[in-house]
Amino acid sequence: MNPIDPRIHRALDGEISREALPPELRRVVERLESAAALLATAPEGGRSVADRVLARLSRHARSPLRRLARWLAAPHPVTLRIRPVWSLALAASLVLLALLPEERSAPVLGEHEGIAQFVARFPGAHSVQVVGSFNDWRTGTIPLEDRDGDGVWRAVVVLPAGAHEYMFVVDDERWVPDYSANRFVEDDFGRENSVLIVRPVKG
Amino acid sequence: MRVALLLACVAAPLAGQSVGSHLEGRVPAAAIPVVDSLVQVAGREGLPTEPLVGKALEGGAKHVVPALIVRAVETRLDQLRSARALLVRGGDAPPATPAEVATVSGALRRGLPPPVVERVVGALPSEPRESALHAIADLVAHRLDADSSASLVIDAIHAGLRGGRLLDVSHAVLEEQQRGRTWAESFARVRDELPNVPAAPKPGEGTVQRARRPSSVSRAPTPP
Repeated sequence: MNPIDPRIHRALDGEISREALPPELRRVVERLESAAALLATAPEGGRSVADRVLARLSRHARSPLRRLARWLAAPHPVTLRIRPVWSLALAASLVLLALLPEERSAPVLGEHEGIAQFVARFPGAHSVQVVGSFNDWRTGTIPLEDRDGDGVWRAVVVLPAGAHEYMFVVDDERWVPDYSANRFVEDDFGRENSVLIVRPVKG
Repeated sequence: MRVALLLACVAAPLAGQSVGSHLEGRVPAAAIPVVDSLVQVAGREGLPTEPLVGKALEGGAKHVVPALIVRAVETRLDQLRSARALLVRGGDAPPATPAEVATVSGALRRGLPPPVVERVVGALPSEPRESALHAIADLVAHRLDADSSASLVIDAIHAGLRGGRLLDVSHAVLEEQQRGRTWAESFARVRDELPNVPAAPKPGEGTVQRARRPSSVSRAPTPP
């Protein structure tokens, strides 16, 4: 820091006349006085610098929606305080929910509809389905299931009440009558169809 | 009467419609024109056509050769004609309804002697005979005498039982037999219980809950 000549201080304080100073010091005093005059000028609109800065900021303030979007997109530190016993209970509930069998709503049966249960034993089969007069002998509409892999295939189906002829189709190629049906009829193609009588549930 | 006339007006044009498009892709192409013509003949004669279409679809699904499919459909048509003739003989005013023709045809296919079917037709004039014929056919399938079976079911009809309750009669006889009684004892016991034969068990709530509908059934089936 350059020391200021004490004569300048004295001239600025009015203790000595400006003319008593050498010309170079007199120029310094004049520059200092003009700088002081500039600083002493009143701020724009009579407001302080702080006021003007805040006014400028508020002019650029974002809408509430944009601020919300920005807040949602920005990362925020989140602190969760969980008691271990509750977190264990939550985990157990989720596991139980996953293990429980899917609950289906019961079908609403019409006046002329009943339930048919198909059960057949085909150990080693990869697929079993039932086809008959109730599905126009169309494959792929009533598959049987063997959930526990014991070779016993089952299906419970809603069918129109009345008599139906049917057969099982094993592995998409082997046609087999239901030998547990106790009712059979010639199929006119050299084999026998099983006959099923469906009684209306609401009868 | 008005309803019958309306149905006749609707059914007549339908009877003449081709079923070729319904069979296409599912029945060998060589069989379709013949099957189609047989179906139209059945329609013109007032016979049910569903059993014929169903038989053709069955043959197609079982990969049967076209000649066999045509023969099976012809056989079904003859069976339907015989069933209608039997219904008329049994007292039904011609023309017999297609549903009853299909029912009687199915009973004959299941091996019921025509005279037995005629007895049932006479015992249930102007009423659906499907359950009665199934009840008798069930007993006959267990090697019971057809005449005795028909007598029991006709007794049940006279006692006021109808519809599914007639199936309870055959069910009750088979239950008695499974308990170790002779057929004669089983018949006598059930006859004594008429009309209060025990009802066959219905599917439980859990079974109904598990039931599902076939993923697609294109049309309502007709009794075979």
